[in-house]
Amino acid sequence: MKLLTSSSKAKTAGADFEREAVLHLGALLGVATRMTRNPTEAEDLVQDTLVKAMRARDQFEAGTNMRAWLLRILTNTFINRYRRGGLEKAVLEGPDADPLADGWVSASTMASMRDPESAALRPVLEAEIRSALDELPEEFRLAVVLADVEELSYREIADIMGCPIGTVMSRLHRGRRLLKTRLYSHALDMGIVSPEPVVGKRRVRGEGEDRDDPVSLAEYRAKKAGTR
Amino acid sequence: MSSPCRRAAPLLEPFGDGELAADKVAEVETHIADCACCRETLELNQSLKMSLRRAAHADAEPTTDFAERVARALSAERERQEARAARREAQDRGRPLAWRFIVPVAAAAGATLVWGALEQQGKSANDDARVSVNMATSTPGVTASLDQMVDELVSHHATSKDPDVVEPSLVNKLEPEVGVPVRVPSLQQYGLRWEGASVVPVRQLNHRAASLRYSFDGHRVTLYVYNSAQFPLRATLEPRVVRNMPVYVGSRRGYSIAAVEKRGVGYAVATDLDDRESAELVASIH
Repeated sequence: MKLLTSSSKAKTAGADFEREAVLHLGALLGVATRMTRNPTEAEDLVQDTLVKAMRARDQFEAGTNMRAWLLRILTNTFINRYRRGGLEKAVLEGPDADPLADGWVSASTMASMRDPESAALRPVLEAEIRSALDELPEEFRLAVVLADVEELSYREIADIMGCPIGTVMSRLHRGRRLLKTRLYSHALDMGIVSPEPVVGKRRVRGEGEDRDDPVSLAEYRAKKAGTR
Repeated sequence: MSSPCRRAAPLLEPFGDGELAADKVAEVETHIADCACCRETLELNQSLKMSLRRAAHADAEPTTDFAERVARALSAERERQEARAARREAQDRGRPLAWRFIVPVAAAAGATLVWGALEQQGKSANDDARVSVNMATSTPGVTASLDQMVDELVSHHATSKDPDVVEPSLVNKLEPEVGVPVRVPSLQQYGLRWEGASVVPVRQLNHRAASLRYSFDGHRVTLYVYNSAQFPLRATLEPRVVRNMPVYVGSRRGYSIAAVEKRGVGYAVATDLDDRESAELVASIH
Protein backbone atom coordinates (compact mmCIF):
# COMPACT_ATOMS: atom_id res chain seq x y z
CA MET A 1 0.00 0.00 0.00
CA LYS A 2 2.80 2.33 0.93
CA LEU A 3 4.64 1.55 -2.30
CA LEU A 4 1.57 2.27 -4.31
CA THR A 5 1.18 5.70 -2.77
CA SER A 6 4.77 6.73 -3.39
CA SER A 7 4.65 5.59 -6.99
CA SER A 8 1.39 7.37 -7.78
CA LYS A 9 2.75 10.49 -6.12
CA ALA A 10 5.78 10.34 -8.40
CA LYS A 11 3.40 9.92 -11.32
CA THR A 12 1.52 13.12 -10.50
CA ALA A 13 4.76 15.03 -9.97
CA GLY A 14 6.00 13.88 -13.38
CA ALA A 15 2.80 14.94 -15.11
CA ASP A 16 2.81 18.33 -13.34
CA PHE A 17 6.38 18.92 -14.34
CA GLU A 18 5.59 18.01 -17.92
CA ARG A 19 2.73 20.50 -17.99
CA GLU A 20 4.75 23.32 -16.47
CA ALA A 21 7.88 22.73 -18.54
CA VAL A 22 5.92 22.86 -21.79
CA LEU A 23 4.80 26.41 -20.91
CA HIS A 24 8.39 27.53 -21.46
CA LEU A 25 8.67 25.96 -24.90
CA GLY A 26 8.52 29.32 -26.69
CA ALA A 27 11.18 30.95 -24.50
CA LEU A 28 13.49 27.94 -24.83
CA LEU A 29 13.06 27.80 -28.59
CA GLY A 30 13.71 31.55 -28.87
CA VAL A 31 17.01 31.32 -27.01
CA ALA A 32 17.97 28.07 -28.77
CA THR A 33 17.31 29.62 -32.17
CA ARG A 34 19.46 32.64 -31.36
CA MET A 35 22.26 30.44 -30.06
CA THR A 36 22.32 27.74 -32.77
CA ARG A 37 21.15 30.05 -35.60
CA ASN A 38 19.58 26.97 -37.12
CA PRO A 39 15.89 26.10 -36.68
CA THR A 40 16.34 22.33 -36.78
CA GLU A 41 19.21 22.30 -34.34
CA ALA A 42 17.29 24.69 -32.12
CA GLU A 43 14.37 22.23 -31.93
CA ASP A 44 16.69 19.33 -31.15
CA LEU A 45 18.40 21.38 -28.45
CA VAL A 46 15.08 22.28 -26.83
CA GLN A 47 13.80 18.72 -26.91
CA ASP A 48 16.98 17.40 -25.39
CA THR A 49 16.90 20.13 -22.74
CA LEU A 50 13.36 19.27 -21.69
CA VAL A 51 14.03 15.54 -21.49
CA LYS A 52 17.13 16.21 -19.40
CA ALA A 53 15.14 18.54 -17.17
CA MET A 54 12.43 15.93 -16.74
CA ARG A 55 15.07 13.46 -15.65
CA ALA A 56 16.66 15.90 -13.23
CA ARG A 57 13.42 17.42 -12.00
CA ASP A 58 14.18 16.45 -8.39
CA GLN A 59 16.95 19.04 -8.51
CA PHE A 60 14.55 21.82 -9.34
CA GLU A 61 13.63 23.83 -6.25
CA ALA A 62 9.92 24.46 -6.28
CA GLY A 63 9.12 28.16 -6.08
CA THR A 64 12.23 29.26 -7.98
CA ASN A 65 12.25 30.43 -11.58
CA MET A 66 11.71 27.35 -13.71
CA ARG A 67 12.41 29.21 -16.94
CA ALA A 68 15.85 30.26 -15.63
CA TRP A 69 16.52 26.69 -14.53
CA LEU A 70 15.56 25.30 -17.93
CA LEU A 71 17.69 27.93 -19.66
CA ARG A 72 20.66 26.85 -17.59
CA ILE A 73 20.23 23.27 -18.76
CA LEU A 74 19.80 24.50 -22.32
CA THR A 75 22.97 26.62 -22.15
CA ASN A 76 25.03 23.77 -20.72
CA THR A 77 23.68 21.37 -23.33
CA PHE A 78 24.50 23.88 -26.06
CA ILE A 79 28.04 24.35 -24.78
CA ASN A 80 28.62 20.60 -24.40
CA ARG A 81 27.24 19.73 -27.75
CA TYR A 82 28.54 22.47 -29.99
CA ARG A 83 31.31 24.12 -28.06
CA ARG A 84 33.36 21.59 -26.22
CA GLY A 85 35.92 24.26 -25.42
CA GLY A 86 33.35 26.62 -23.86
CA LEU A 87 31.70 29.60 -25.49
CA GLU A 88 33.28 31.31 -28.45
CA LYS A 89 35.50 34.04 -27.09
CA ALA A 90 34.51 37.61 -27.70
CA VAL A 91 36.05 39.39 -30.65
CA LEU A 92 36.71 42.57 -28.74
CA GLU A 93 39.14 41.88 -25.95
CA GLY A 94 40.77 44.30 -23.61
CA PRO A 95 39.49 47.38 -21.83
CA ASP A 96 37.15 49.93 -23.29
CA ALA A 97 39.93 51.79 -25.06
CA ASP A 98 37.78 51.85 -28.10
CA PRO A 99 36.81 54.58 -30.50
CA LEU A 100 33.19 53.49 -30.17
CA ALA A 101 33.10 54.48 -26.53
CA ASP A 102 29.83 55.64 -25.06
CA GLY A 103 28.72 59.03 -26.14
CA TRP A 104 29.17 58.06 -29.75
CA VAL A 105 26.34 60.10 -31.17
CA SER A 106 24.42 63.15 -30.12
CA ALA A 107 21.18 63.16 -28.17
CA SER A 108 19.22 64.27 -31.20
CA THR A 109 20.54 61.42 -33.33
CA MET A 110 19.68 58.94 -30.61
CA ALA A 111 16.23 60.45 -30.38
CA SER A 112 15.67 60.07 -34.09
CA MET A 113 16.62 56.41 -34.01
CA ARG A 114 13.73 55.47 -31.81
CA ASP A 115 10.04 55.62 -32.28
CA PRO A 116 8.24 57.24 -29.33
CA GLU A 117 4.97 55.57 -30.33
CA SER A 118 6.10 51.98 -30.17
CA ALA A 119 8.93 52.55 -27.67
CA ALA A 120 11.04 50.46 -30.06
CA LEU A 121 13.64 51.47 -32.56
CA ARG A 122 12.33 53.28 -35.60
CA PRO A 123 11.33 50.83 -38.32
CA VAL A 124 14.72 49.28 -38.45
CA LEU A 125 13.65 46.01 -39.98
CA GLU A 126 13.15 43.13 -37.62
CA ALA A 127 15.38 41.02 -39.85
CA GLU A 128 18.17 43.59 -39.48
CA ILE A 129 17.94 43.42 -35.69
CA ARG A 130 17.97 39.63 -35.77
CA SER A 131 20.97 39.46 -38.02
CA ALA A 132 22.80 42.04 -35.88
CA LEU A 133 22.06 39.85 -32.86
CA ASP A 134 23.05 36.64 -34.64
CA GLU A 135 26.40 38.15 -35.58
CA LEU A 136 27.37 38.98 -32.01
CA PRO A 137 30.04 36.78 -30.44
CA GLU A 138 28.33 33.99 -28.49
CA GLU A 139 29.21 35.25 -25.02
CA PHE A 140 27.67 38.62 -25.76
CA ARG A 141 24.72 37.17 -27.64
CA LEU A 142 23.76 34.87 -24.80
CA ALA A 143 24.02 37.68 -22.23
CA VAL A 144 21.91 40.05 -24.35
CA VAL A 145 19.26 37.44 -25.13
CA LEU A 146 18.94 36.39 -21.50
CA ALA A 147 18.75 39.98 -20.24
CA ASP A 148 16.82 41.80 -22.95
CA VAL A 149 14.65 39.09 -24.45
CA GLU A 150 14.15 36.79 -21.48
CA GLU A 151 14.38 39.58 -18.88
CA LEU A 152 16.35 37.52 -16.42
CA SER A 153 18.19 39.20 -13.55
CA TYR A 154 21.97 39.64 -13.54
CA ARG A 155 22.14 37.00 -10.80
CA GLU A 156 20.20 34.47 -12.87
CA ILE A 157 22.33 35.16 -15.94
CA ALA A 158 25.52 34.79 -13.90
CA ASP A 159 24.29 31.39 -12.68
CA ILE A 160 23.42 30.28 -16.19
CA MET A 161 26.68 31.46 -17.73
CA GLY A 162 28.76 30.37 -14.78
CA CYS A 163 30.52 33.72 -14.33
CA PRO A 164 30.50 36.63 -11.86
CA ILE A 165 27.87 39.36 -12.11
CA GLY A 166 30.55 41.88 -13.15
CA THR A 167 31.34 39.74 -16.17
CA VAL A 168 27.65 39.59 -17.08
CA MET A 169 27.49 43.39 -16.95
CA SER A 170 30.54 43.77 -19.12
CA ARG A 171 29.30 41.24 -21.71
CA LEU A 172 25.94 42.96 -21.80
CA HIS A 173 27.51 46.37 -22.21
CA ARG A 174 29.78 45.26 -25.01
CA GLY A 175 27.08 43.29 -26.76
CA ARG A 176 24.63 46.16 -26.65
CA ARG A 177 27.24 48.61 -27.82
CA LEU A 178 28.01 46.47 -30.87
CA LEU A 179 24.30 46.20 -31.62
CA LYS A 180 23.73 49.92 -31.30
CA THR A 181 26.70 50.69 -33.51
CA ARG A 182 25.56 48.33 -36.21
CA LEU A 183 21.95 49.51 -36.06
CA TYR A 184 23.16 53.10 -36.16
CA SER A 185 25.05 52.48 -39.36
CA HIS A 186 22.00 50.74 -40.77
CA ALA A 187 19.89 53.77 -39.83
CA LEU A 188 22.43 55.95 -41.63
CA ASP A 189 22.17 53.80 -44.75
CA MET A 190 18.41 54.00 -44.64
CA GLY A 191 18.45 57.76 -44.19
CA ILE A 192 16.68 57.49 -40.84
CA VAL A 193 19.42 59.58 -39.27
CA SER A 194 21.86 61.94 -40.90
CA PRO A 195 25.61 61.43 -40.58
CA GLU A 196 26.76 63.50 -37.64
CA PRO A 197 28.74 61.74 -34.92
CA VAL A 198 29.77 65.12 -33.56
CA VAL A 199 30.28 64.15 -29.96
CA GLY A 200 33.61 62.48 -30.65
CA LYS A 201 36.30 65.16 -30.63
CA ARG A 202 38.15 63.61 -33.50
CA ARG A 203 35.46 63.98 -36.04
CA VAL A 204 33.54 67.04 -36.99
CA ARG A 205 30.67 67.23 -39.36
CA GLY A 206 31.85 67.96 -42.87
CA GLU A 207 35.29 66.50 -42.33
CA GLY A 208 34.30 63.01 -43.27
CA GLU A 209 37.76 62.24 -44.66
CA ASP A 210 39.36 62.43 -41.27
CA ARG A 211 38.29 58.91 -40.33
CA ASP A 212 39.84 58.13 -37.01
CA ASP A 213 36.83 56.41 -35.57
CA PRO A 214 35.13 53.82 -37.71
CA VAL A 215 31.37 53.70 -37.49
CA SER A 216 30.62 50.09 -38.30
CA LEU A 217 31.64 46.84 -36.72
CA ALA A 218 33.04 45.57 -40.02
CA GLU A 219 35.12 48.69 -40.37
CA TYR A 220 36.22 48.40 -36.78
CA ARG A 221 37.31 44.80 -37.22
CA ALA A 222 39.15 45.62 -40.42
CA LYS A 223 40.91 48.50 -38.74
CA LYS A 224 41.80 46.40 -35.75
CA ALA A 225 43.18 43.63 -37.93
CA GLY A 226 45.19 46.18 -39.87
CA THR A 227 46.88 47.67 -36.81
CA ARG A 228 47.99 44.30 -35.46
CA MET B 1 31.57 63.74 -22.00
CA SER B 2 31.20 65.99 -18.97
CA SER B 3 32.35 64.62 -15.67
CA PRO B 4 28.84 64.03 -14.21
CA CYS B 5 28.11 62.07 -17.42
CA ARG B 6 31.27 60.07 -16.97
CA ARG B 7 30.07 59.11 -13.47
CA ALA B 8 26.58 58.28 -14.65
CA ALA B 9 27.55 56.38 -17.81
CA PRO B 10 28.33 53.00 -16.22
CA LEU B 11 25.12 53.22 -14.17
CA LEU B 12 22.77 53.73 -17.09
CA GLU B 13 22.50 50.11 -18.20
CA PRO B 14 22.01 48.63 -14.73
CA PHE B 15 19.47 51.42 -14.15
CA GLY B 16 17.56 50.41 -17.29
CA ASP B 17 17.80 46.76 -16.27
CA GLY B 18 16.35 47.51 -12.83
CA GLU B 19 19.52 46.28 -11.17
CA LEU B 20 20.75 49.45 -9.52
CA ALA B 21 20.88 49.97 -5.74
CA ALA B 22 18.39 52.55 -4.42
CA ASP B 23 20.98 55.28 -3.64
CA LYS B 24 22.42 55.02 -7.13
CA VAL B 25 18.97 55.12 -8.67
CA ALA B 26 18.46 58.53 -7.05
CA GLU B 27 21.82 59.69 -8.41
CA VAL B 28 20.92 58.65 -11.96
CA GLU B 29 17.48 60.21 -11.73
CA THR B 30 18.94 63.51 -10.59
CA HIS B 31 21.47 63.44 -13.39
CA ILE B 32 19.13 62.61 -16.24
CA ALA B 33 16.74 65.35 -15.17
CA ASP B 34 19.25 67.86 -16.56
CA CYS B 35 21.21 65.81 -19.07
CA ALA B 36 19.51 65.23 -22.40
CA CYS B 37 22.32 63.05 -23.66
CA CYS B 38 22.14 60.49 -20.86
CA ARG B 39 18.37 60.60 -20.98
CA GLU B 40 18.46 59.76 -24.66
CA THR B 41 20.98 57.00 -24.07
CA LEU B 42 18.57 55.45 -21.60
CA GLU B 43 15.66 55.80 -24.00
CA LEU B 44 17.65 54.28 -26.81
CA ASN B 45 18.66 51.36 -24.59
CA GLN B 46 15.02 50.73 -23.74
CA SER B 47 14.02 50.93 -27.41
CA LEU B 48 16.72 48.45 -28.27
CA LYS B 49 15.39 46.10 -25.61
CA MET B 50 11.86 46.32 -27.00
CA SER B 51 13.03 45.76 -30.55
CA LEU B 52 15.14 42.78 -29.54
CA ARG B 53 12.27 41.21 -27.67
CA ARG B 54 10.02 41.50 -30.73
CA ALA B 55 12.60 40.40 -33.23
CA ALA B 56 14.07 37.50 -31.29
CA HIS B 57 10.87 35.51 -31.11
CA ALA B 58 9.39 36.39 -34.47
CA ASP B 59 11.17 33.55 -36.26
CA ALA B 60 11.14 31.12 -33.35
CA GLU B 61 7.53 30.30 -32.60
CA PRO B 62 7.14 26.59 -31.81
CA THR B 63 5.14 24.83 -34.51
CA THR B 64 2.34 22.46 -33.55
CA ASP B 65 4.39 19.57 -34.89
CA PHE B 66 7.30 20.47 -32.70
CA ALA B 67 5.13 20.95 -29.61
CA GLU B 68 3.65 17.49 -30.19
CA ARG B 69 7.06 15.94 -30.71
CA VAL B 70 8.25 17.41 -27.40
CA ALA B 71 5.11 16.28 -25.62
CA ARG B 72 5.66 12.73 -26.90
CA ALA B 73 9.31 12.75 -25.86
CA LEU B 74 8.38 13.91 -22.38
CA SER B 75 5.64 11.33 -21.96
CA ALA B 76 8.03 8.63 -23.13
CA GLU B 77 10.58 9.80 -20.59
CA ARG B 78 7.95 9.82 -17.85
CA GLU B 79 6.93 6.29 -18.76
CA ARG B 80 10.55 5.20 -18.62
CA GLN B 81 10.83 6.69 -15.16
CA GLU B 82 7.62 5.08 -13.99
CA ALA B 83 8.68 1.70 -15.36
CA ARG B 84 11.93 2.06 -13.50
CA ALA B 85 10.12 2.92 -10.27
CA ALA B 86 7.93 -0.14 -10.77
CA ARG B 87 11.00 -2.31 -11.32
CA ARG B 88 12.54 -0.97 -8.15
CA GLU B 89 9.44 -1.89 -6.24
CA ALA B 90 9.56 -5.38 -7.72
CA GLN B 91 13.19 -5.62 -6.71
CA ASP B 92 12.43 -4.48 -3.20
CA ARG B 93 10.14 -7.44 -2.96
CA GLY B 94 13.16 -9.61 -3.64
CA ARG B 95 12.64 -10.72 -7.22
CA PRO B 96 16.02 -11.11 -8.87
CA LEU B 97 16.64 -9.79 -12.36
CA ALA B 98 16.42 -12.22 -15.21
CA TRP B 99 19.82 -11.74 -16.73
CA ARG B 100 21.69 -12.53 -13.56
CA PHE B 101 20.21 -16.00 -13.88
CA ILE B 102 21.00 -16.38 -17.53
CA VAL B 103 24.68 -15.62 -17.19
CA PRO B 104 26.19 -18.82 -15.85
CA VAL B 105 24.00 -21.08 -17.93
CA ALA B 106 24.53 -19.37 -21.24
CA ALA B 107 28.21 -18.85 -20.73
CA ALA B 108 28.85 -22.47 -19.81
CA ALA B 109 26.78 -23.91 -22.64
CA GLY B 110 28.33 -21.64 -25.22
CA ALA B 111 31.84 -22.34 -24.10
CA THR B 112 31.72 -26.14 -24.29
CA LEU B 113 29.99 -26.27 -27.63
CA VAL B 114 31.92 -23.83 -29.72
CA TRP B 115 35.23 -23.28 -28.08
CA GLY B 116 37.06 -25.30 -30.71
CA ALA B 117 35.68 -23.29 -33.59
CA LEU B 118 36.32 -20.00 -31.93
CA GLU B 119 39.88 -20.71 -31.07
CA GLN B 120 40.56 -20.35 -34.77
CA GLN B 121 38.55 -17.17 -34.99
CA GLY B 122 40.20 -15.79 -31.93
CA LYS B 123 43.57 -16.40 -33.44
CA SER B 124 42.80 -14.61 -36.66
CA ALA B 125 41.23 -11.81 -34.66
CA ASN B 126 44.47 -11.47 -32.76
CA ASP B 127 46.38 -11.27 -36.01
CA ASP B 128 44.11 -8.45 -37.14
CA ALA B 129 44.65 -6.79 -33.84
CA ARG B 130 48.38 -6.87 -34.23
CA VAL B 131 48.13 -5.24 -37.61
CA SER B 132 45.93 -2.53 -36.21
CA VAL B 133 48.23 -1.98 -33.29
CA ASN B 134 51.13 -1.56 -35.64
CA MET B 135 49.16 0.93 -37.65
CA ALA B 136 48.27 2.83 -34.55
CA THR B 137 51.73 2.93 -33.09
CA SER B 138 53.38 3.86 -36.37
CA THR B 139 51.30 7.05 -36.49
CA PRO B 140 53.54 9.91 -35.39
CA GLY B 141 52.90 11.09 -31.86
CA VAL B 142 51.13 7.91 -30.80
CA THR B 143 53.34 6.27 -28.26
CA ALA B 144 51.02 4.97 -25.64
CA SER B 145 49.84 1.42 -25.56
CA LEU B 146 46.34 0.12 -25.90
CA ASP B 147 46.47 -0.55 -22.19
CA GLN B 148 46.56 3.16 -21.58
CA MET B 149 43.57 3.59 -23.84
CA VAL B 150 41.64 1.07 -21.84
CA ASP B 151 42.68 3.04 -18.77
CA GLU B 152 41.33 6.17 -20.38
CA LEU B 153 37.96 4.54 -20.93
CA VAL B 154 37.91 3.24 -17.38
CA SER B 155 38.74 6.69 -16.02
CA HIS B 156 35.99 8.12 -18.16
CA HIS B 157 33.58 5.51 -16.87
CA ALA B 158 34.61 6.16 -13.27
CA THR B 159 34.25 9.94 -13.47
CA SER B 160 31.82 10.59 -16.30
CA LYS B 161 29.76 13.72 -16.00
CA ASP B 162 26.29 14.48 -17.23
CA PRO B 163 25.67 13.07 -20.70
CA ASP B 164 25.45 15.48 -23.65
CA VAL B 165 22.48 13.82 -25.29
CA VAL B 166 19.69 12.18 -23.37
CA GLU B 167 17.07 11.70 -26.04
CA PRO B 168 17.66 8.22 -27.56
CA SER B 169 16.43 9.30 -31.00
CA LEU B 170 19.13 12.00 -31.14
CA VAL B 171 22.03 9.70 -30.36
CA ASN B 172 22.65 9.03 -34.06
CA LYS B 173 23.87 12.65 -34.23
CA LEU B 174 27.09 11.45 -32.65
CA GLU B 175 27.83 9.34 -35.70
CA PRO B 176 29.92 11.94 -37.59
CA GLU B 177 32.12 12.45 -34.55
CA VAL B 178 32.64 8.78 -33.87
CA GLY B 179 32.77 7.53 -37.44
CA VAL B 180 30.56 4.49 -36.96
CA PRO B 181 26.77 4.14 -36.60
CA VAL B 182 25.65 4.86 -33.05
CA ARG B 183 22.29 3.61 -31.86
CA VAL B 184 20.93 2.93 -28.44
CA PRO B 185 20.73 -0.83 -27.97
CA SER B 186 17.69 -1.83 -26.02
CA LEU B 187 18.92 -3.31 -22.79
CA GLN B 188 15.69 -2.78 -20.95
CA GLN B 189 14.97 -6.45 -20.65
CA TYR B 190 18.00 -6.65 -18.41
CA GLY B 191 16.68 -3.88 -16.24
CA LEU B 192 19.13 -1.30 -17.53
CA ARG B 193 17.92 2.23 -17.51
CA TRP B 194 19.08 4.53 -20.28
CA GLU B 195 20.71 7.75 -19.03
CA GLY B 196 22.32 9.42 -22.02
CA ALA B 197 25.23 9.61 -24.41
CA SER B 198 28.43 11.62 -24.85
CA VAL B 199 31.47 11.60 -27.07
CA VAL B 200 34.72 10.53 -25.39
CA PRO B 201 37.97 11.65 -26.95
CA VAL B 202 40.56 8.87 -26.77
CA ARG B 203 43.63 11.07 -26.69
CA GLN B 204 46.14 8.30 -27.25
CA LEU B 205 44.78 7.54 -30.69
CA ASN B 206 43.26 10.87 -31.60
CA HIS B 207 40.05 8.97 -31.97
CA ARG B 208 36.59 9.37 -30.53
CA ALA B 209 34.23 6.84 -29.07
CA ALA B 210 30.58 7.28 -28.17
CA SER B 211 29.73 6.49 -24.59
CA LEU B 212 26.21 5.39 -23.80
CA ARG B 213 25.42 5.41 -20.15
CA TYR B 214 22.94 3.22 -18.35
CA SER B 215 22.26 2.55 -14.73
CA PHE B 216 21.43 -0.80 -13.34
CA ASP B 217 20.37 -1.44 -9.81
CA GLY B 218 22.59 1.36 -8.48
CA HIS B 219 25.51 0.39 -10.71
CA ARG B 220 26.74 2.55 -13.51
CA VAL B 221 27.13 0.83 -16.86
CA THR B 222 28.90 2.59 -19.72
CA LEU B 223 28.72 1.15 -23.21
CA TYR B 224 31.38 2.44 -25.58
CA VAL B 225 30.78 2.32 -29.32
CA TYR B 226 33.82 2.81 -31.54
CA ASN B 227 35.53 1.95 -34.78
CA SER B 228 37.13 -1.39 -33.96
CA ALA B 229 39.69 -1.11 -36.74
CA GLN B 230 41.17 2.05 -35.23
CA PHE B 231 40.75 0.96 -31.68
CA PRO B 232 41.57 -2.76 -31.36
CA LEU B 233 40.55 -3.13 -27.74
CA ARG B 234 40.41 -6.90 -28.07
CA ALA B 235 44.20 -6.98 -28.31
CA THR B 236 44.60 -6.19 -24.64
CA LEU B 237 41.72 -8.30 -23.33
CA GLU B 238 41.22 -12.03 -22.84
CA PRO B 239 39.00 -13.81 -25.36
CA ARG B 240 36.09 -15.76 -23.94
CA VAL B 241 32.96 -17.29 -25.43
CA VAL B 242 29.51 -16.15 -24.45
CA ARG B 243 26.41 -17.24 -26.38
CA ASN B 244 28.55 -18.64 -29.19
CA MET B 245 30.32 -15.33 -29.61
CA PRO B 246 33.85 -14.21 -28.91
CA VAL B 247 33.83 -11.66 -26.12
CA TYR B 248 37.01 -9.95 -24.90
CA VAL B 249 37.15 -9.47 -21.18
CA GLY B 250 39.47 -7.76 -18.75
CA SER B 251 39.50 -5.73 -15.59
CA ARG B 252 41.14 -2.52 -14.47
CA ARG B 253 41.06 -0.88 -11.06
CA GLY B 254 38.11 -2.95 -9.94
CA TYR B 255 36.03 -2.27 -13.05
CA SER B 256 35.35 -4.99 -15.54
CA ILE B 257 35.47 -4.43 -19.26
CA ALA B 258 33.97 -6.66 -21.91
CA ALA B 259 34.06 -6.01 -25.64
CA VAL B 260 32.53 -7.49 -28.77
CA GLU B 261 33.01 -6.51 -32.37
CA LYS B 262 30.34 -6.60 -35.00
CA ARG B 263 30.83 -5.56 -38.60
CA GLY B 264 33.71 -3.25 -37.80
CA VAL B 265 31.95 -1.62 -34.85
CA GLY B 266 33.31 -2.28 -31.39
CA TYR B 267 31.08 -2.33 -28.33
CA ALA B 268 32.66 -2.36 -24.89
CA VAL B 269 30.97 -2.16 -21.53
CA ALA B 270 32.66 -0.87 -18.42
CA THR B 271 30.93 -1.69 -15.15
CA ASP B 272 31.65 -2.44 -11.55
CA LEU B 273 29.76 -5.73 -11.94
CA ASP B 274 31.80 -8.90 -12.17
CA ASP B 275 33.38 -9.75 -15.49
CA ARG B 276 30.98 -12.59 -16.24
CA GLU B 277 28.05 -10.25 -15.95
CA SER B 278 29.74 -7.63 -18.11
CA ALA B 279 30.53 -10.25 -20.73
CA GLU B 280 26.95 -11.46 -20.77
CA LEU B 281 25.70 -7.94 -21.09
CA VAL B 282 27.88 -6.98 -24.02
CA ALA B 283 27.13 -10.28 -25.76
CA SER B 284 23.44 -9.45 -25.71
CA ILE B 285 23.87 -6.37 -27.89
CA HIS B 286 22.42 -6.84 -31.33
